[in-house]
Amino acid sequence: MSWAWENRAMLAGYTGQHLYLALTPVLIGLVISLPLGIACARWKWFYPPALTASSVLYAIPALALFIFLIPYTGLVGPTQSLTLIIPLALYSLATVLPNVVDGLRAVPEPVRQAATAMGFGPLRRLIRVELPLAVPVVIAGLRVATVASISLVSVGALIGIGGLGYLFIDGEQRDFFTTEITVGLLLIVLIALAADAVLVGVRRLLTPWLRGREVGTP
Amino acid sequence: MNAIGPGFAWLAQAQQWHGANGIPARLLQHLGYVGISLLIAALIALPAGLLIGHTGRGGFLVVSLANFGRALPTLGLVVLAFAVALAYLGSAGTSAAYIVPLVALAIPPILVNAYEGMLGVDPGLKDAARGMGMTGPQLLRKVEAPVALPLILLGLRTAAIQVVATATIAAYVGLGGLGRYIIDGLATNDYAEVAGGALLVVMLALAVQAAFVGLRWLIVPAGLRLQAQPA
Amino acid sequence: MITFERVTKRYPGGTVAVDALDLEVPAGKTMVLVGPSGCGKTTSLRMINRMVEPTSGRIMLDGRDIRQAKPAVLRRGIGYVIQQSGLFPHRTIEDNIATVPLLAGWTKAKARARAHDLMELVGLEPGLARRYPHQLSGGQQQRVGVARALAADPPVLLMDEPFSAVDPIVRASLQDELIKLQAELHKTVVLVTHDIEEAIKVGDLVAIFHPGGRLAQVDSPERLLGAPVDSYVENFLGFDRGIRRLSFLPAAGLTLDDDAVIEVGMPVADALRACKQSGAPWLLVIDSQRLPLGWVSPADLEMLPAGARVGGEALTPYGHTFSVSTDSLRAALDATVLSRTGRAVGIDADGRVAGVTSYDSLRAAIHAADEAAAEAGQGGPARDGPARGGPARDGPARGGPAGQGAPG
Repeated sequence: MSWAWENRAMLAGYTGQHLYLALTPVLIGLVISLPLGIACARWKWFYPPALTASSVLYAIPALALFIFLIPYTGLVGPTQSLTLIIPLALYSLATVLPNVVDGLRAVPEPVRQAATAMGFGPLRRLIRVELPLAVPVVIAGLRVATVASISLVSVGALIGIGGLGYLFIDGEQRDFFTTEITVGLLLIVLIALAADAVLVGVRRLLTPWLRGREVGTP
Repeated sequence: MNAIGPGFAWLAQAQQWHGANGIPARLLQHLGYVGISLLIAALIALPAGLLIGHTGRGGFLVVSLANFGRALPTLGLVVLAFAVALAYLGSAGTSAAYIVPLVALAIPPILVNAYEGMLGVDPGLKDAARGMGMTGPQLLRKVEAPVALPLILLGLRTAAIQVVATATIAAYVGLGGLGRYIIDGLATNDYAEVAGGALLVVMLALAVQAAFVGLRWLIVPAGLRLQAQPA
Repeated sequence: MITFERVTKRYPGGTVAVDALDLEVPAGKTMVLVGPSGCGKTTSLRMINRMVEPTSGRIMLDGRDIRQAKPAVLRRGIGYVIQQSGLFPHRTIEDNIATVPLLAGWTKAKARARAHDLMELVGLEPGLARRYPHQLSGGQQQRVGVARALAADPPVLLMDEPFSAVDPIVRASLQDELIKLQAELHKTVVLVTHDIEEAIKVGDLVAIFHPGGRLAQVDSPERLLGAPVDSYVENFLGFDRGIRRLSFLPAAGLTLDDDAVIEVGMPVADALRACKQSGAPWLLVIDSQRLPLGWVSPADLEMLPAGARVGGEALTPYGHTFSVSTDSLRAALDATVLSRTGRAVGIDADGRVAGVTSYDSLRAAIHAADEAAAEAGQGGPARDGPARGGPARDGPARGGPAGQGAPG
């Protein structure tokens, strides 16, 4: 892998760009899915349409969405990253929203009742009791969204915006330079797994009461 | 709409509907890829997922595989497969090389959902069935598989949509199908063609989704229709 | 003091959960609401802290309509304990207990100190303070629930089937703890249960509900057992209420027979004479400390040589004893029934024999208590008297080394 070492500056640059393109949408998706999820948990009729919309959205291939955005955000210039970020944010939203709703619904009813009976108003109860308890489920969704996002950014290389995906295009154009392609693959998988591990760490940090207990999927 | 308008216009052109590069031909090709890959992936992943879920062992592997599969970039895999095939098998081998990434990316959703479907079977149900004298294989066939059916179908649906997307991207290294329009259009800077291709792909994906929803409605008994999570 | 004034709860669809309830819960007492499923007891309880709003009627707390206060504010002054405890899984035990004080603005240090005091009060080891709820047993979790409810020192405590989810042994010990706590704290407690035994054990007043939300009878446990108002209440109370009522009558009311007690070493002839004089079929032999040794019958005595003295061996075991100062008539009856000789030994606080009882003296005592109750109108002793002597009301002090191994 001496090629990788020689080109490490370039690789670092692509990696940084890739992370920016992948993580920003996840953050946006999270920020939108929280209030939306709270609304869905509260007003039950709200949820099925939201869920159907998410499901339909998730079926649409990423490349198509990128393409539809091109006339608006372009392939070059200041808004080009939005061509990737907006669709990926929608995917993240579609992934995380059900988790926010399920996480909130999973708060045991006795706990909610006890909180109300002790004098917690609805907002305080949400912030102090329900959301903290929903953290593990939400983070599970975030992990899926993050890994998928990191993987999907590379598709953007087909339209010229793609972080590490560029290595695939370049490798193909150089008569299938397998080293470059493999390095690209490995790097993407690595940063995806690293991001996943970071989220697991965050979950452990935020949920001291779960230490030593099975949480389900590792 | 700025994006979709040109695309629809392109679709409307009569010429698009004839010939080897016509929409029907490409559509059929694409469906063919989906069908074959799904079949092979299901043959591999379904038995594995059902078995692992039935015995309860190897769950960690399944979950890790799912994570790993989700992290694999489609474009990279497609290009790599083609490159390796080209290097070792020559141009002749490349036509088979497409199958590898198509199947590889379809396996994780089928596997994970089959496994989780089996896990989701109420232990009390299994206990009662064993108490009635059912053997392991009978239990699998008559109790667990039917209850796991909704999730199994979900896994197949997710995999099918994944293949639609993968096949689209594989056009980059020469595969046929609807992705051809996108890749060719990008190469010639013909946005109308690109958008048209994208529209077709979206319509196909949604049609596949609808087909599976319909299938679920038909096959799964009313009592089991659950809201399952996409994996 | 809590007052229900013609409180009704009707649900859309027509179900009447609570039907024109008029009830008064005196301050500082434990009122138990009991009845079958669907009788409105839980609904009534939850109307006190406005978790459920009445359809009509009103509820007064210390003279003020509870609707005048904001629900959240009202609830901070009312402790609430539920069956599954509802402890916050994501907070430590001490932070769980400190919840309401922290809500009320106490400093963290002060709130935690209070939590530690309460842990001691409910019998939890201090080492558990930093643990999480899932690490505790069901019984311990319920204790935390009670501590949490008491943390801000509310005058009112509401308990909804608090002990139903734990096993019977833990349940009994939690009930005892509650009685002990009440003796110290004198909160106004309203407790809901479906278990009539629990109601009778724990309550100063018991309110029995009909299915459909109507009140059948409200009375002290003693009066309830003695005078059920109709057949529904009678059936609800269960079949041996006559005997159970005896739990509320003190053994101190018994006339004990001292004639039938002789000291070891007494000459046989004297013993026989004492036997004829008292007319008792058995004599209790005691030692110089007035500790019981066993029973001897005239037949046994006649078998001894003429000049001998009554010895301490070969006696019929004296069986179960009951404490004259702290036990109830029920305990005395139980000891009598279990004794081989049909007589039970009554001992005082130091374990010395006070006398002996028989079925006759028991019958007389019961009769006397009934007369006294009839004379006093509906009266009976107040609940803080010896009739309520701690958790061992029905449990006699099971006797010393020679006692039969009956389950305590």
